[in-house]
Amino acid sequence: MRVLIVEDNAVLAEGVKLLLTTSGHEVVAVLGDAGELVESVDLHRPDLVIVDVRLPPTYREEGLRAAIRARRSRPDLAVLVFSQYVEAIYATELFTDGARGVGYLLKDRVARVEEFLDALNRVADGGTAVDPEVVRQLLTRKEDPLSRLTPREREVLALMAEGLGNGEIAQRLVVTEGAVHKHVGRIFTKLDLAAEDAGHRRVLAVLAHLGG
Amino acid sequence: MLVRGWRAARYLLRAFATGLAAMVALPVLALCAMAIPLGGLGVPLPPHALEGVRRWAAWEHREACEYTGAERPPWPEAPPPTGWRRRLRHTLDDPATSRSVRWLLAHAPLGTLAGMVGLVAVLGVPSALGKLAVWWAMPEPLTFLGVPAHGWGVALGGGLAEIVAFAAVFLWAAPPLAGGYARLTARLLSPSEAELRADRLTERVEELSHTRAEALQAHGAELRRIERDLHDGAQAQLVTLAMRVGLAERVVTDDPDQAARLLREARGSAEDAMTELRDVIRTMYPPVLADRGLGGAVSALGSRCAVPTHVRVGELGTLPAAVEAAAYFGVAEALTNVTRHSGATSAEVRLERLGQTLRVGIHDNGTGGAEGADGTGINGIRRRVAALDGTISVSSPAGGPTVIEVELPCAS
Repeated sequence: MRVLIVEDNAVLAEGVKLLLTTSGHEVVAVLGDAGELVESVDLHRPDLVIVDVRLPPTYREEGLRAAIRARRSRPDLAVLVFSQYVEAIYATELFTDGARGVGYLLKDRVARVEEFLDALNRVADGGTAVDPEVVRQLLTRKEDPLSRLTPREREVLALMAEGLGNGEIAQRLVVTEGAVHKHVGRIFTKLDLAAEDAGHRRVLAVLAHLGG
Repeated sequence: MLVRGWRAARYLLRAFATGLAAMVALPVLALCAMAIPLGGLGVPLPPHALEGVRRWAAWEHREACEYTGAERPPWPEAPPPTGWRRRLRHTLDDPATSRSVRWLLAHAPLGTLAGMVGLVAVLGVPSALGKLAVWWAMPEPLTFLGVPAHGWGVALGGGLAEIVAFAAVFLWAAPPLAGGYARLTARLLSPSEAELRADRLTERVEELSHTRAEALQAHGAELRRIERDLHDGAQAQLVTLAMRVGLAERVVTDDPDQAARLLREARGSAEDAMTELRDVIRTMYPPVLADRGLGGAVSALGSRCAVPTHVRVGELGTLPAAVEAAAYFGVAEALTNVTRHSGATSAEVRLERLGQTLRVGIHDNGTGGAEGADGTGINGIRRRVAALDGTISVSSPAGGPTVIEVELPCAS
């Protein structure tokens, strides 16, 4: 996979580059700010862009804006927004345009190398990766309607919201895929959601439910 | 005594002149007051007339205070706002205006009367001498102290008595009268104790609002700095540390050498993160302050300073943490200056508590020139001190020595 990194902190940029190259991916460029992100994407044609939320010159949410801009010019571009803190509100902004191939993860997630690489692959393939912390924020905010779910169903819902498919959920929870499928069906019934089995649209439905 | 008499006479003569002027001014002022309802027609007289009276009163006030030798209480001279109406309102609202008008009312009769005594004091002796010189040539007999002079005996005796009497007025009556009148003028025109107190309170409130706003701003800036430091430093280090451990875990069986290298780097990241955390914590609230208190912390600063520094610490009692931190950082910045810029060979830091005030003095025997110089950290100290409503004085003439005195209120 060809990856473009936009990260102003040299230590972190170097670390992510090391992780990707060690895992057999190619880092085509590392940018210190988002000023030339669109041009750089046109030049290097990466499969995925990893972009930090906070970038010079304002150090506020330059990266988030740049990611949204870049996707507007190239809707099929897979973008992983990478941050040292996550806010559910940013996630809803990122995901509302319904485009495919978006991820929003805490930088801490690089410690779980396999899961991080899985998330990268998922995003590059047009899937979704939502940080568990974002999901946790959304779930705590929506305590009441979720009280109808069993603890197991809530676990499944959280993993669904992160962007995982049924197979991955089954793996994480150490159950069969059929069991996951049944949980998902019950969750959708209890929350009055139209059943969506396709990964990305399902995530959007769940996020919309939680965020709205 | 003659000088005293002259001074008094001069003062009284001026009172006579201005008293007469006041008699003319009062009706004019009354006319102006009647013109106020006509203000809409654009008559600019009332505010100007009142301001004129105020300026006049201010001048009299100054003269009176000078005469009595009393210290002159503040005379408010705020620039009037523009616009006829606002200007009038401003002038009318000012208590100094009503004081001025009250004084004018009293001055018209009293000043004129007192001034007459001045006239007598000044003109009495010369007129008696003049009468003595010409009485014999007059067709009608002149009187000396009311007695008509028909011969030299009466003229000489009466003339002498008159000279003595007028001299007495000049020498003994005029000075107390002038003094009394000056005191009366000063009292009429000085702001009352309550007004002064209100002024002081207003000033204090403005000052406190200002320092409070500054303190809030400084606090916000400090929070942002800490957040940035943690975000860019320790947090980033921890992320890469965790990543390297994760990578090492992944490759440990296939490539133990690379795993070992990753773990070594991870340890480096951990050490860097710890250093950066320590640095950030030290700039927030130095742990040595928590452990040893201000005295111990400043002693530690002194012993670390490259210029031999003597630290003297009095009984400090319990101090608010913000005061301790401000004093500590102030001393730290001052000693940095001493090391970098002063060329001093020795310095002294003194800490003492006087009631509800912490006093910090930093002295060095260097070349001075620290006052107002850029990048010397004095401004940093100034901001910290101002935020706590403290005061700072910096004396640093070219050639030295530099003396910084800081006072921080520490009422608990």
